[in-house]
Amino acid sequence: MIQRRQLELWVGVFVAAGLLALAMLAFRVGNLTAGEVANGYRIQAEFNDIGGLKVRSAVTLAGVRIGRVSEISIDPSNYEAVVAMEIDGRYNNIPVDTSASILTSGLLGEQYIGLDPGGSSQYLKNGGKIEITQSALVLEKIISQFLFNVAAKPDPAKK
Amino acid sequence: MTKMGGIVISGRAWDLLRRFLHGFRTATGRKRLSNPQTDSGASGALVEIRNLHFARGERTILNDLSLTIARGKVTAIMGGSGCGKTTLLNLIGGRLRPSSGQVLVDGVSVPDLSTRELFELRKRMGMLFQSGALLTDLDAFENVAFPIREHKNLPESILRHVVLMKLETVGLRGARELMPAELSGGMARRVALARAIALEPMMIMYDEPFTGLDPISKGVIVKLIRELNTGLGITSVLVSHDVAEACAISDYAYLLGNGRIIGQGTPQEISQSKVEEVRQFMGGLPDGPVPYQYPAMDYLEDLLQGGQA
Amino acid sequence: MNPLRRLGKFVLDSVEGLGRASLFFFEVTVGTRQLARRFELVVQQVYAVGVLTLLIILVSGLFVGMVLGLQGYHTLVKFGAEDSLGLLVALSLVRELGPVVTALLFAGRAGSSLTAEIGLMKATEQLAGMEMMAVNPIERVIAPRLVAGIIAMPLLAALFSAIGVLGGHLVGVGLLGVDSGAFWSQMQSGVGFREDILNGVIKSVVFGVVVTWIAVFQGYESVPTSEGVSRATNRTVVFSSLAVLALDFIMTALMFK
Repeated sequence: MIQRRQLELWVGVFVAAGLLALAMLAFRVGNLTAGEVANGYRIQAEFNDIGGLKVRSAVTLAGVRIGRVSEISIDPSNYEAVVAMEIDGRYNNIPVDTSASILTSGLLGEQYIGLDPGGSSQYLKNGGKIEITQSALVLEKIISQFLFNVAAKPDPAKK
Repeated sequence: MTKMGGIVISGRAWDLLRRFLHGFRTATGRKRLSNPQTDSGASGALVEIRNLHFARGERTILNDLSLTIARGKVTAIMGGSGCGKTTLLNLIGGRLRPSSGQVLVDGVSVPDLSTRELFELRKRMGMLFQSGALLTDLDAFENVAFPIREHKNLPESILRHVVLMKLETVGLRGARELMPAELSGGMARRVALARAIALEPMMIMYDEPFTGLDPISKGVIVKLIRELNTGLGITSVLVSHDVAEACAISDYAYLLGNGRIIGQGTPQEISQSKVEEVRQFMGGLPDGPVPYQYPAMDYLEDLLQGGQA
Repeated sequence: MNPLRRLGKFVLDSVEGLGRASLFFFEVTVGTRQLARRFELVVQQVYAVGVLTLLIILVSGLFVGMVLGLQGYHTLVKFGAEDSLGLLVALSLVRELGPVVTALLFAGRAGSSLTAEIGLMKATEQLAGMEMMAVNPIERVIAPRLVAGIIAMPLLAALFSAIGVLGGHLVGVGLLGVDSGAFWSQMQSGVGFREDILNGVIKSVVFGVVVTWIAVFQGYESVPTSEGVSRATNRTVVFSSLAVLALDFIMTALMFK
């Protein structure tokens, strides 16, 4: 029979390793920390079409993630999508004339919001709003637009 | 299993339900069926069984059995294999409940006890199982210490004294660190005996204590049963089919056959009995009331049929 | 026996078995009350079902993760989305493979040995012996094992998933040249704590209850002979595997709408 002390030691090691694995899943694999933006502030932007953007999608500036989408809703007055973003408190110097666009990582990848800083010396504050936005490119719309254009133009070869 | 209108209720589930219902009955004070004052005199009966029936499914195992086990004596219950001896011990210990009839231990009706009361009673009953039933993951010392640890909150030093004392009684103080797998059959049974007396019970039930032992080990067990009885005054119930050993140490003996008592008396009386069934068992005769032949059709006819098939 | 009667008997037997198992579960649950005072009993069993199952879980987890890395890479690379490899590996493991494969391995390794151990204790009259010593085997033997199983399973599943992710990283990044940064960042942006990891943990807790319950019940109910014990062991593995897969489907349907 295994010694009692050794047994307890092994169980301790096992439980500690298991909890460590859980912590790794939570923090390294999942986004428990990334989800909680450190003392962040909230800004808003309105888009015509957000495409496949979801809550918790990334918000980036120059490719660096600085926050994430915290809420998506509809503005009932003009039927536009209102996207609220939680921005990390460290990045508190985003100009008010910054533009936001919905981009796609890779051809079929996740969608995220890319911020393009403007030149104003005034910075966005908590509850601030980004006025210049560019909606998501929806593949079907682009294709149908393209097809429509082709159909509308009379084919020169047939003349 | 109890059949109720085609629905089969398992023995255990049924048992649970009955225990539950019995709990109510005990609460209303019908538990003590006999007056303990009259029963628990020094010379009285410790165990009394009256008109006991026990059946498993359709099969009747014990049929209208009545016997008494005297306080402070060694009582042997003998009988062929499968005649219900072990069942009888389980009924006395409350692990089985009778179909009908009474089982009184120390004046208390065992089937009517709640689980808690039953456990209290069992602390005063030791049982030595045929296999010893030692816990395989504990060594000899811990096995003997097991019931004490479970029931008494003794400091480690006193516990050690008690356990060593019990092991000394069975002569195995030196084997305290051996695991059950390292013990011989006889030694395992002695450790189990030390465990059975750990809580200083009023009675010990021995289930086939001599089976599968060499003559020396048998002798040791015989000596121990006798010593425990005379030295500590423990009532002993001995279930066995080893006629010689059982007769050698018992004060009184019952002979069981077909679920009923076919003979009783002191060992001497039994061995001089004129009853055919008793004589066959005591003398170990191959043929008699218990036939040599398993019931079958005529031998010649059977052979001829086999040729035709 | 005619088929209809056989069907009827099967149904009755199953219902009876389920009823007994439920009663048994109830008894064991009541029996866990006294474990607070005697936690060392649980610790011993965590060793038996947890520590002794650790190696097979770690090795399997590593290989499953590596295979996911390989397969996932070859599928994703067709769409130019190999950066999502980390996400694919992690989601597969955390949501499904971690809890399920761990539960299946646990049933085979720890469940079967629980059944065999309890069955043998029954066959060698150890349980009966305890009862005669006024010790309730359900409290002393069964309850600590059930609790230990419930503790060990989520920890094992977490270890399986964690080492699986590392295995996927090993193959994807080390062997196939996926960018390490992309591997982790895609994973982190796609795996949610509540919806993925917590749900995975809930799954493994449920599996822990069910597998250990089946194992101890089969052991406790086994016919106390060597054949009976081996049959019970067999039933433990079959029943608990089926239960795990069926419950996994139900829970997935409920959790990931």
